[in-house]
Amino acid sequence: MTQGRTLTFNIFRYDPQEANDKPKMVQYQIAETPGMTVFIALNKLREEQDTSLQFDFVCRAGICGSCAMVINGFPTLACRTLTAKYPKGEITLMPLPGFELIGDLSVNTGKFMRELAERLQLWLHPKSDDIDVHRLEDPMDPEEAARLYELERCVECGVCVSACATKQMRDTFVGAVGMMKIARFEMDSRDGRTAEDFYHVIGNQDGVFGCMTLLGCQDNCPKDLPHMQQIAYLRRKMAMTLV
Amino acid sequence: MANNPSPAKVDLIASAVKGFSHPIWAARADRLQSASGVLLGLFIIMHLHFESSILLGKETFYRVVQLLEGGMFNSTGHGYPIVTKVFSVFILLVVITHAVVALRRFPAQIGQWHALRGHLKGIRHKDTHAWFWQLITGFILFFLVPVHLFTMILNPEIGPNLSAERVYLDNVWVLYALLLPAVVVHALIGLYRVAIKWGLVSQRKVLRQVVKVLIVYLLCLGIASLVAYILIGTELTIPVQPFSPH
Repeated sequence: MTQGRTLTFNIFRYDPQEANDKPKMVQYQIAETPGMTVFIALNKLREEQDTSLQFDFVCRAGICGSCAMVINGFPTLACRTLTAKYPKGEITLMPLPGFELIGDLSVNTGKFMRELAERLQLWLHPKSDDIDVHRLEDPMDPEEAARLYELERCVECGVCVSACATKQMRDTFVGAVGMMKIARFEMDSRDGRTAEDFYHVIGNQDGVFGCMTLLGCQDNCPKDLPHMQQIAYLRRKMAMTLV
Repeated sequence: MANNPSPAKVDLIASAVKGFSHPIWAARADRLQSASGVLLGLFIIMHLHFESSILLGKETFYRVVQLLEGGMFNSTGHGYPIVTKVFSVFILLVVITHAVVALRRFPAQIGQWHALRGHLKGIRHKDTHAWFWQLITGFILFFLVPVHLFTMILNPEIGPNLSAERVYLDNVWVLYALLLPAVVVHALIGLYRVAIKWGLVSQRKVLRQVVKVLIVYLLCLGIASLVAYILIGTELTIPVQPFSPH
C-alpha cells in the first residue's frame, strides 16, 4: 500500500490575464491517500494549499475529457492516472500544448474542437430524400452500430493533438481527432456525403497524406481508440481512389 | 527578425507545400515516398550482405562481384563494370525521387523547428523520437549518398584489392564509417514506419523488436566488413594489383 507517502507536485503556473505574471513551475507537497488520482490530488491542493490553482474537470470518471494534461511527459487524463503509478512520488504537470492557455493547467480545447467540427463539417448530413422528421428511421445493422459506437467513444480531450508532433509543426493539420470523426461519418449509412466529399476534406497534406505516422495519438489516447488502423484505412482508401 | 526567411523564400516554400497539397499530388507523393523508401531499404540490406562476403575471404567476394556484374554472360567469367555504373545511376534517380518527396516533411520554417524541439522536450514518445533520428540521418544522407554514388558511377573499381585500396589507401573509410550508421538507422526505422503506415503489420511490438535486432545485426555486419577491408588495405603493395583467383 502506498499510504503514508508524501508526493511532490511540480505544477506549471501562469495566468495570461495578469499583466505581470510570468510562466513558472511551483512545487507543492501533499500526503498520498489510498486510490488517489492526480485529479483528486489537484482538488486537495486547491482546497488546502492554493485556491488560485486553475485546472478543468467535470466528471472525474474519464467521460468528459476535461482534465487532460501532460503528466510526467505523457499527455493523459488526470482522473484516470493513479498517483501510485509513480514510485518516486514526483509528478510534473504541464498544460496540454497546442491549445489556447486559459491559465495554469487549463486549456481551451472546446474552442479548438468547435473550429475543427465547423471546418470538417463533423455532423450527420442526412441523405437528401431523408429530411422528413416524421418518418421512422430505417433500422441500423447492429454490426454497423457497434462500429460507429467504437469511434463515438472519443471524448475530445485533446490528448491526440498534443501528442502529435506533426500537428504541433503544422497548424492546419486536422490531427487524429479530425480523422477519427471523418471516419465515423464515412461509415454511417445514414450520411449522404460521398467518398469524394470526404476526400475533399482530408485527402490532402492537411489530412491523411500529411500524417507522418508518429503514432503519438495511438500511444496516448486515454480511450484506446484505434487511431493507427483507422488512419491507415483512410489512407489506403484515398490512395486507391486518387490514382 | 534576422532568423526569418525572406518573403520571396516564404512564397517559394509555400508554393512547394501547396503543390503537394493538391489531393492527387498529396496522394502520389505519399505513395512515391513509401515505394521509393521500401526499394532503397531493401536494396541497402542486400548491399550490406553482398559487400560483407569479404568476411568469407577474398575469393568469395571476387566471385560475388563477378556474378553481380554479369560474369555469366562473358566467356572469361569477368563481369562488366558498366553494370555497376548503370545500376548506380538508377539508384541515384530513386534517391533523388525519395529526397524530393521526403523533403516536404522537413520542418522548413524556423517556427516549425522550434515546435518540434519543444515537443520532443515536453512529450515522452519513442516513435516520435525515432522519427527525429530519421530526420537527422536523412539530412546527413542527403549529402553523403551522392558522394558514394558518384564514385560508383565514375569509377566503379570493385574487387578485394581495389575496394580495399579505396577504403584504406584513399581514406574513403571515413565516408563509409559515417554512411553506415546513418543509412542503417534511417532505412530500418523507415521500413518499420511504412509497414504500420499502410496497415501492413498490426503487431507493432513484435515489429519493433525485429527492427532493433536488425539494426544491431546490420551495424555489426557493416563494421566487420569495413574492418576487413582496412586490414586488407594495410597489406597492399603499391602499385595495387587487382585480385585474381588461382
